[in-house]
Amino acid sequence: MISRVADHCFWFGRYLERAENTARVLPVTLAVALDADLSARQSWRPVVVVAGEEAGFVARFGDAAMQDGEVVQRYLTWDRANLTSIRSSIHAVRDTARSIREVLSLDVWQTVNELWLWMNSEAAEEQFDADREHFYRHIRDACLLVLGALRNTMLHDLPLDFVWLGAVLERASQTARILDMQYHRERAVDGVEPAVDDAVWLALLRACSGLEAFMQRHGRVTGEGVARFLVLEPRHPRAIRFCIQEARERFGRIRPTPDLPGARSAARLAALHERLSVDGPIEDLHGLLTHVVDEVARIAIEIGGELLGQEVQASQSQSQ
Amino acid sequence: MSDGLFAGYRPYPGAADELFLPDGAPRPAFRETIEAIDATTPEAFARKQALAERALLAQGVTFSVYADARGTEKIFPVCLLPRLVSPEDWSHLDRGLAQRVRALGMFLDDVYGAQRILAEGVVPRELVLGSKQYLPVVRGVRPPGGVRVHVSGIDLIRDPSGTFQVLEDNLRTPSGVSYVLENRAVSKRVLPRAFDLARVQRVDGYSAQLAATLRACAPSGRDDACIVVLTPGPYNSAYYEHSFLARTMGVELVQNVDLFVDDDRVWVRTTRGPRPVEVVYRRTDEAFLDPEVFRKDSLLGVPGIFRAWAKGNVTLANAPGNGVADDKAIYPYVPDIVRFYLSEEPILAQVPTWVCARPEDRDFVIDHLEELVVKAVDEAGGYGMLMGPQSTKEQRAEFRARVLEDPRKYIAQRRVELSTCPTWIGEHRIVAPRRVDLRPYVLTGPKGPWVLPGGLTRTALVEGSYVVNSSQGGGSKDTWVLK
Repeated sequence: MISRVADHCFWFGRYLERAENTARVLPVTLAVALDADLSARQSWRPVVVVAGEEAGFVARFGDAAMQDGEVVQRYLTWDRANLTSIRSSIHAVRDTARSIREVLSLDVWQTVNELWLWMNSEAAEEQFDADREHFYRHIRDACLLVLGALRNTMLHDLPLDFVWLGAVLERASQTARILDMQYHRERAVDGVEPAVDDAVWLALLRACSGLEAFMQRHGRVTGEGVARFLVLEPRHPRAIRFCIQEARERFGRIRPTPDLPGARSAARLAALHERLSVDGPIEDLHGLLTHVVDEVARIAIEIGGELLGQEVQASQSQSQ
Repeated sequence: MSDGLFAGYRPYPGAADELFLPDGAPRPAFRETIEAIDATTPEAFARKQALAERALLAQGVTFSVYADARGTEKIFPVCLLPRLVSPEDWSHLDRGLAQRVRALGMFLDDVYGAQRILAEGVVPRELVLGSKQYLPVVRGVRPPGGVRVHVSGIDLIRDPSGTFQVLEDNLRTPSGVSYVLENRAVSKRVLPRAFDLARVQRVDGYSAQLAATLRACAPSGRDDACIVVLTPGPYNSAYYEHSFLARTMGVELVQNVDLFVDDDRVWVRTTRGPRPVEVVYRRTDEAFLDPEVFRKDSLLGVPGIFRAWAKGNVTLANAPGNGVADDKAIYPYVPDIVRFYLSEEPILAQVPTWVCARPEDRDFVIDHLEELVVKAVDEAGGYGMLMGPQSTKEQRAEFRARVLEDPRKYIAQRRVELSTCPTWIGEHRIVAPRRVDLRPYVLTGPKGPWVLPGGLTRTALVEGSYVVNSSQGGGSKDTWVLK
């Protein structure tokens, strides 16, 4: 497979997953802000921080705007200058899809193109104003439809492997960011200690579509239990361990024999997977989550250098 | 004819109409099909048209417009009313196109070989060797498979007497064939009854035929020879088509950066290391093909690919240097070129042309600017043109100065009253005549030319306009060649 095309496939998967996750986090935060015993700042600031956008946001809107959910939502949904906004991610998905149109199935391409057209339409803005929950749901549905169309209408071959590799790596990183919101809440600076009540943990599970799955396994919501579930559960498709396991398997198909390029990427993936294959309590959750986010970025750089024909600098500038 | 879709339709006086006779009656050969379409009410037709446009937008069947600074994509305006071609007309075109493309291929072989036609004075030596499109480095190269014009698009118009005339040959990288195939898919969906009645020749074999043609020209001659489509990238106006062709041929779409040359062979960079390439269907301009040979200032291109081609290690489709045969200044000599190589009379007529490089022609053109269409020989897509009859005094003065300064750069023709075809005018919800041309596509392999039974009918969308180019606001129609 042509390296440049593989690179686009990989980033197609990452941008798609990024758009979907932002469309998960925002409505869930909106619900938490209404339910839980948190200040507006404790609700919204972590969303900006884990998106890696604190500096950019404060420079644009000032620190005080961190407690304005509407500003935060608009920034992470519509802002063209914010490269992690949903609009930017969907634009990037469509742009990469257009560059690899010849390897995608018509179903995949058309779903992506329709999502992009919708996102740029007045109908989308009207829905954002009239029914926020439905707006984000529309984006999530379209992303899930693309993921389903990928698996069910395309050859299970290298292009799909690269898309999926990008998607599960991005998902691992996103789940780590979502879970780390709780850490940034505790560090909130306005003096009110965050109430660590069930509503917050339930929200984190919902953001990862993990509520039903968690309840089936555990039945009782505790912070420790939720964290272990979202990090270590090997059977939940949005848990970090599952994603890294899946990434390793995909990478194994891309590189079936050790004489092919990719030795360093494979070693890093294996090391991260080992680190997540534990069953005891998690000692330093924030440290582990930070490690996952950093390591996913480094793995992407290694893959870019070893398989996708990129200079190291080019791939660094593309990661969040 | 009735109170249906075509009610009150009247062709322009003085121009032929593809579907109707001057008195407004349908052409007898197409009567049944026209009646089937006529049964649609304007309201129903407007719905079909909107449906088709939405489907094309959703599928991203779009092109980018160069002059549009925002780089937006548009759908190529499409009119669902088909243009019909009778079996008799088509058989004439089929033979004429094959003959013309065969002769032009022989002309290129000769110009880049023994130059017999120049020695015998059939085409003036300085006109050929002085053409910007003549590439001295190509002289002496025998391309793999012996083919230079793998893909060509010949632009035809129809004069008031109903005779098809060649307007222009495109032997470099003609585009538009993807719209032929997409328009057909739309036709079948929205006009199934009329389509069924008409008994239309298929066009969907094009991609397979193209792949087979290219494969037959591969240096190794092997069935599994690696073919790639080379595109300038997603910002090129024809990117959709490049990707369409790669996808429907089942081959890789590559950009310059994906290819490199080592040991005079072409390789593509893959995730599992380099892989040899045998055939490059290039949709890039030849000026940006190889910085070692063409634009040395260019960062684009694949250094060394020309050498690989000259050594016979890779097939370039189309071959470099073809521009000398579709140069507008060579066009007037094509009938003589046909006679010279094939000892046959040309089957297709063409538009009488004045070549300003000839002093007597130049003087005539200068004196008759308001009657003529003057074209710069190195411009395409409707740019650099003077439409004499519609021009202003200032425009004529400007062209007079330009022609006198560099006569070699200009040719002139009388304006032909292009034929019309019934066209849906969305904003008024009526059907009205609009001028059309026709671009059929010809594929040439080692065994000779094959003509796709169909083609791109381009249509002016502005009332009375003669300019059908998509870059100038034209649209397209499906072309139904009847069995």
